[in-house]
Amino acid sequence: MSAVRLGHRVRGYRPGRLAYLTLLAVLFFSGFPLYFSLIVASQDNSALGRIPPPLLPGSNLLANIRRVFDTVPFEAALLNSAIVASTITLSVVLFATLAGFAFAKLAFRGRTVLLLLVVATMMVPTQLGVVPLYLMMTELGWTDTLPAVIVPGLVNAFGVFFMTQYLREALPTELLDAGRIDGAATHRLFWHVVLPAARPAAAVLGMLTFLTAWNDYFWPLIVLSSPENYTVQVALSNLRSGYITDYSLVLTGTVLATVPLLVVFVVLGKQIIGGIMQGAVKG
Amino acid sequence: MTTAPPTGPVGSILEHSPRPVDQPPGELRDRRGPGRWRLWRLDRAVSPYLYVTPFFLLFAAFGLFPLGYTAWVSMHDWSLLSDQHPFVGLANYRELVADPYFWNALKNTISILLLGTVPQLLLALLLANLLSRRLRGQSFFRMGMLLPNVASVVAVAVIFSQLFGRDFGLINWLLEQFGVGRINWQAGTASSHIAIAVMITWKWTGYNALIYLAAMQAVPGDLYESATLDGASPLRQLRSITIPMIRPTIIFTVIVSTIYGLQVFAEPQLFAGSGQDSVTGGASRQFQTLTLYLYEHGFHRGFQFGYAAATAWVMFGIIVLAAAANYLLVRRIRSTT
Amino acid sequence: MRATRTRRTLAIGLAAGVLVAGAAACSSDGGSGDDTGQTTLTIGLFGDFGFGPLYEEYMAMHPEITIEERIAEFADHHTNLTQRLATGSGAADIEAVEVGFISQFTAVPDRFHNLLELGADQLEDRWLDWKWQQALSQDESALIGLGTDVGGMGVCYRTDLFEAAGLPIDRAEVSALWPDWDDYVDVGRDYLAATDGSFFFESSGQMFRAMVEQAPVGVYDTENNIIAESNPAVTDAWDTTVEAIEAGMSNRLDAFTPEWTAAFGQGTFATIICPAWMTAYIETNAPEASGLWDVAAVPGGAGNMGGSHLVLPAQGDHPEEAYALIEWLTAPEQQLKVFQETGNFPSTPELYDDPEMTGLRKEYFNNAPIGEIFTESALEIEPQYQGPLQGDVLATIGQGLGRIEDGAQTPEEAWEQVLADLESLA
Repeated sequence: MSAVRLGHRVRGYRPGRLAYLTLLAVLFFSGFPLYFSLIVASQDNSALGRIPPPLLPGSNLLANIRRVFDTVPFEAALLNSAIVASTITLSVVLFATLAGFAFAKLAFRGRTVLLLLVVATMMVPTQLGVVPLYLMMTELGWTDTLPAVIVPGLVNAFGVFFMTQYLREALPTELLDAGRIDGAATHRLFWHVVLPAARPAAAVLGMLTFLTAWNDYFWPLIVLSSPENYTVQVALSNLRSGYITDYSLVLTGTVLATVPLLVVFVVLGKQIIGGIMQGAVKG
Repeated sequence: MTTAPPTGPVGSILEHSPRPVDQPPGELRDRRGPGRWRLWRLDRAVSPYLYVTPFFLLFAAFGLFPLGYTAWVSMHDWSLLSDQHPFVGLANYRELVADPYFWNALKNTISILLLGTVPQLLLALLLANLLSRRLRGQSFFRMGMLLPNVASVVAVAVIFSQLFGRDFGLINWLLEQFGVGRINWQAGTASSHIAIAVMITWKWTGYNALIYLAAMQAVPGDLYESATLDGASPLRQLRSITIPMIRPTIIFTVIVSTIYGLQVFAEPQLFAGSGQDSVTGGASRQFQTLTLYLYEHGFHRGFQFGYAAATAWVMFGIIVLAAAANYLLVRRIRSTT
Repeated sequence: MRATRTRRTLAIGLAAGVLVAGAAACSSDGGSGDDTGQTTLTIGLFGDFGFGPLYEEYMAMHPEITIEERIAEFADHHTNLTQRLATGSGAADIEAVEVGFISQFTAVPDRFHNLLELGADQLEDRWLDWKWQQALSQDESALIGLGTDVGGMGVCYRTDLFEAAGLPIDRAEVSALWPDWDDYVDVGRDYLAATDGSFFFESSGQMFRAMVEQAPVGVYDTENNIIAESNPAVTDAWDTTVEAIEAGMSNRLDAFTPEWTAAFGQGTFATIICPAWMTAYIETNAPEASGLWDVAAVPGGAGNMGGSHLVLPAQGDHPEEAYALIEWLTAPEQQLKVFQETGNFPSTPELYDDPEMTGLRKEYFNNAPIGEIFTESALEIEPQYQGPLQGDVLATIGQGLGRIEDGAQTPEEAWEQVLADLESLA
């Protein structure tokens, strides 16, 4: 193994066979449950219980897909989820970066206390919060609407904590000082110095927030009651209605719900990863 | 081995305050005149508050209000099925502490936390290290890390309960092929904890690996270059360069994993399959976690919200202690070589 | 410049998102009544009740009414309903409540419109008496729901496994084998002695429940005290079930899990306590076992598993119209149509002599006359008072049995823990 010079950054040894093997194994385990969902989705309910379990897809997929669309308004659900997840992601990343910058690099009274407060709120289980939130939504008249799902999610403590932590390390104070010396006001600093430096973390946070918002189930379930307003996870849950569950139908639904995410990954994947790998400006 | 000074202040999140970026450069006053100076002062003083305000406004409404409400409810005998909510002070808390099932849930939660978090973060670190190299198909591998997060909760439930099924599950079938014999995963305490820990590890390793990966990008390349020239092995470089340099991120993930790990809910609930067992974490409560216990009292058993709210706040206390303890533990990683 | 592009993208994206969300919010239907005299009634169900064609018929008869149906998953539906009743908003005009949850709601009758005041007091004879009783409040001054379907009960058994064990396979003979539960357990012993490696039933919980629900008094007395310990019907049911477990008859499966589904096809157990809707399940999930299953009478003769009521939450604004609809939906003529459409068994006994019901057979089950079998068991049930935490009490005892099955506790230990748990429930 020899040191390889790659661009301006040396990463030491080139990965050997063991590395690739490990990564392939991890990839296999990461993806296997999804693959298995596809297998069951393309067969029928008895497939789950067969021993040995089937390892190749069957032919029932199209029929099941048609049933999914007949049972729940799935296209509407996909659109709703897309709106909800996108809005939440943009908002969380923006506000988290704003607040994170302030916590990380700006001095103000009460900074430590406020930051601790933010972190502390992550430490209380949120399941019970659905009742006061529901009461609030009733007051606002937002029950059974998309804003009821979007607005509580527009900011979250994790995002602020994450960006604060990242910016503290990755945003060089020298750069900010240089900006100040040029007489830049804070907002100019933000747009021109902070945002570019925050880009890798913003990419990660954006991706993770989008996935979390897409997969959110607990709150939308209680606050949305009309089928045309359902998000994807609520629609999926309703595929299980009745006394008896047809798992092949349910898993068809989950496969369908995953496809848009995979499409986003494929299309934006390189961009997002590029964002992560861009790194700060270092020597 | 010389190291270039890391850019930006190195330090853990809660201990080191960075030098604030608001020392007025002397020139400003001279160059731009008094009016400008005032504006500059205003900007310095007010901007931080402006920047955190949008967050805090929304946060106060949708984050803090529910918490306050929960604290208020915890001091009442509050059931969703009744309209009478008498004030009972700390009675709920006393009842909670006296309930052996609460301590059982605490025990289970800690066990699952250790089994599910420690190997997971180590694995995530190793994976991030591998992924930070120049690889063939690197985008592919990196995106693949998020596949478990793409899967929906319902699918994960169904698949893993099949995998860990007693009679017809894939894992038991494999174990039988290798002569090990079947395990009743749900019935045992250790076996159920291991199974749930596997589910958690499966789901969150990739997520944490990407967070580490993002942090590793900030480490200067010449550190590795000089280390390689000095003949240090990849493992040595990981231990001596990478880990100290991303120490704040490691601390961050440990704290966050502790906080969320102690609140684990979906995995044990789904592991039981259906019926009452999914609320009590098995017939013997062998895998009931604290949040599941909270859910049992708040959404079943008469919807005793007051009692569940008390559980939530006691959990808060536990989580604060655990997070603080873990922070003190992990902070002992050296910050320089 | 990159920062500007990023900024622009962010701003546009955020604005677009908020606009679209706002548009979606405005477009979703909020009101249920307006000045044109049109009334919209929402009805919330947890499965397909077969009401689709009935809505069409009703709307044709009543052009001023529009009906909107919403379906949610079983457990979520009931949890959401409880929360929406507590917070006073979000429930539909009409909601379905399954028998496992009805007693929780009869304990708080003021959250519903009292159907006795809307005209139901004239209708008591329409339903089986125990079905009517289930929706009455504790002091019987309020009725909160009208019954839709019932489950009935039989025992589905594998004829091939019975034959291999030297047992009769004709359903009349099989029914004669077990007039009561002790006989059932004896047959189980014979079965185990004659076979190797298969079980007699899939799990003990259903057997226990069936026994308890056949008794005139169950786990609650009419004062809402939990009397599991002092009621011999309950303790006898426990003892009999424990006997069966200790003899090794139970396959120890959890209902509705994939494992349980698989077991039907694999034939790992010989009998299962079977309500009417279970037959549809067995058919779809073990297609290769067609002709191998049959249906006999349930030990003790009486039984019901499942079934629902339609209730009117008090927060609904159109009680009279909603009542008219549910009164019509649960009328015998409509229940017969539902039966023909979906196979859900009516709760109106006057239909039980109808040739449609008595003539119903299922080929999969060797042409068993399931119409007769299940309606007979439904007729036999005595009304039994069910207390507010009925479901939780039965589940707690069921978990005690589960612990014995898992080998985690001895029967004595399990019973002790059950009693302690029931105390903390009260």
